[in-house]
Amino acid sequence: MTLYQGNRLRVDLTNHEVRRERTQPNGIGARSWNSATLLEELQPGIDPLGPDNILCIGVGPLTGSALIASCRFIASAKSPLTGYLGDSGARGFFAPELRWAGHDQIVFTGASDRWVYLFIDDNKVEIRDASHLVGLDITETTVRLQEDLDDRDLQVAAIGPAGENLVRYAIISCNLTRAAGRTGMGTVMGSKKLKAIVVRGTKPVEPVNPGRFTRACADFQTAIEGHREFESRRKYGTTRIMDSLSKIGVLPAFHYRSALFDELDKVKAEALRRDHVVKAKACYNCNVYCSRYNVTSFSEGEGPEYEAQAGFTVKCGSSDMEVGVAASNAVNRLGLDCISTAEVIAWLMECKAEGVISDADVDGIDLSWGSREALLKLPEMIAHREGVGDLLAEGSKRAAQSLGGGAAELTAEVKGLELFSADPRGIKGYGLMNAVNSRGGDHYRGEPTIELTGDEALAIKRVGNPNAAHRLKEEGKGALVNYAEHLGILSDSATLCKNISCCMDAFDFDLAAEAYSGLLGEDITSQQLWDACTEVGQIERDFNVREGLQPSDDTLPPRFRDRPIPDGPAKGTTIDIDRLVKDYYKEKGWD
Amino acid sequence: MCEVACSISHFGAVSPALSRIRVAKLEEIGIDVAIACVGCVEKPCLECSEDALTVGSSGQIVLDGSLCIGCEECAIRCPIGAVGYYRDEPLFCDLCDGAPSCVEVCPTDALVNDTASTPSLAPYMSSEGPAAQRRAHYARIVSQEVRDRWLAGWRLGE
Repeated sequence: MTLYQGNRLRVDLTNHEVRRERTQPNGIGARSWNSATLLEELQPGIDPLGPDNILCIGVGPLTGSALIASCRFIASAKSPLTGYLGDSGARGFFAPELRWAGHDQIVFTGASDRWVYLFIDDNKVEIRDASHLVGLDITETTVRLQEDLDDRDLQVAAIGPAGENLVRYAIISCNLTRAAGRTGMGTVMGSKKLKAIVVRGTKPVEPVNPGRFTRACADFQTAIEGHREFESRRKYGTTRIMDSLSKIGVLPAFHYRSALFDELDKVKAEALRRDHVVKAKACYNCNVYCSRYNVTSFSEGEGPEYEAQAGFTVKCGSSDMEVGVAASNAVNRLGLDCISTAEVIAWLMECKAEGVISDADVDGIDLSWGSREALLKLPEMIAHREGVGDLLAEGSKRAAQSLGGGAAELTAEVKGLELFSADPRGIKGYGLMNAVNSRGGDHYRGEPTIELTGDEALAIKRVGNPNAAHRLKEEGKGALVNYAEHLGILSDSATLCKNISCCMDAFDFDLAAEAYSGLLGEDITSQQLWDACTEVGQIERDFNVREGLQPSDDTLPPRFRDRPIPDGPAKGTTIDIDRLVKDYYKEKGWD
Repeated sequence: MCEVACSISHFGAVSPALSRIRVAKLEEIGIDVAIACVGCVEKPCLECSEDALTVGSSGQIVLDGSLCIGCEECAIRCPIGAVGYYRDEPLFCDLCDGAPSCVEVCPTDALVNDTASTPSLAPYMSSEGPAAQRRAHYARIVSQEVRDRWLAGWRLGE
């Protein structure tokens, strides 16, 4: 079945050659093509940091259209962190620009022997020398390229020192702080000696059936603006959830040792806004504009969002918001994934508290809970692989294996990918999502947010089971996670912001069918889109199984599997992850 | 959103290259400035060799496409980079017949339709480089006051 066939650039970095071709005909955009490309072209068992890996950057037919927040690109490759399929999306303005330049996917093969960047000006595509950019952070790289090329409107996606130094969870960022953050896509870019991708695009995106497409856009906008979280998302972005996660007892304080944090008032959304926020910031064509620019006494920048906010405060036992903002700014500039970075630091602090490591192991850095020194120094040390930073740069799974002595029992990772800043035991749908999804410990594949709402009618509408609306129930969660994964794949292919499409449940397959149909001028049904997403999910599973994934890998770390939540509102809650996984397999039709 | 609205309302398609309003982003200092024709006193764009440009009743610049030879001189002369240029024709803000689509769509009410004032762009007349660079230069100067306020401790607040 042909859905949409896009234009693809194939960039051979070994031979410095660029070829134009077409994508697979049966895709719906970004992630759908990327995952298929990797399954088709990657040899099993290859070194993710060698020239045999392939890095795909995808946008889709809806990217850069009038549809709200149609702003993401998806970067995909074999992950150097998990060894399985890696992919991650970034918002901002880069993806629309790539679409306006007329390119739907870039496939990078091989590896360059010297540092280069890719320059795209509509049809003109060149591989250029980047030796002058080596060592620069993401902000410096971006501004330098824009100034050198005499165009502050140029869109740049770049890696920082972390990507250059092959930290396994390095990011690709555009607009300075919009990161394709998870699974080390910036690391793969670094291994290919590709410092940046620079785009200027001027070709308009024009719907074939403007009336139908405009109606779909208007329906989407209405769904967003009528949403009960609309105003609070505008005001606080994702930082708004810290308080609610605290109230339901799933805060990861002191690296999951407690769900209680006495000084929450110092680090929650209201404090951040009161003390540091100077301005709201938006991604492309977004009426939610959930990002904010912060100024503190010793750093400034965009963010943090919830993960960096909680990761660099509560999770590490710190109530110093200024230090948290500084750490967030630092990882953005250095090119580190904020989730993995916060998790490895919090884990190291727990190793210290448990006596698994000594002062000598960590270059004398103060690793007591909330240590300002650790939060300010470790991101730099990780990005430059200095001292204990070299160990942490490997990710918590590998680092724990090196350390031995009980360090592994303290990690919070699945398939090598570090967990988010919440306790999976008290939000069972999220627990299951972390256990089974294609990229490892991660909540953002799709967001089973329905379980946080108590909205049984919505749960029945989406998955036919009212239990799915209750976070502490294990029934109905297989179906919920399956639905959330489908919506995640749809969003990653339509390149919509998942905070809107998934977290707000403001987008669904019916609306998507109207948007695709209106834009492309063909009748595309919601069932066709659902089936396309099912196929992408299966492709990703097949890829991972080919790389050696076993059913036993679909689980949570022992610390969550074997013990209840120790305190707080959800005290005593356990998670029967085996039961949840079985329910999910049944939903998928897997044995 | 203003660029998208402008582009759609005039062309039925989306690309900032089609927009008569452009947002200059100085991301490293957190500044965004949406720039369209401000109806300046100087109006250097009017020095058109073919007399293709006149001033309309609301102060907007009106292009006579039949006279335009596509030399781009008007776009180059605008000190703040507010004249677009696409496929051999300059793009002037036409104020959408009195109800600018960019103003309508702006979610933060950062844009107003002010046809009464005619500011001077004298301080920017020596701006050089491509339009994007002139916009960035203008954004840097007009945002200085805002930046000073931030650094002095002003916050958005509740």
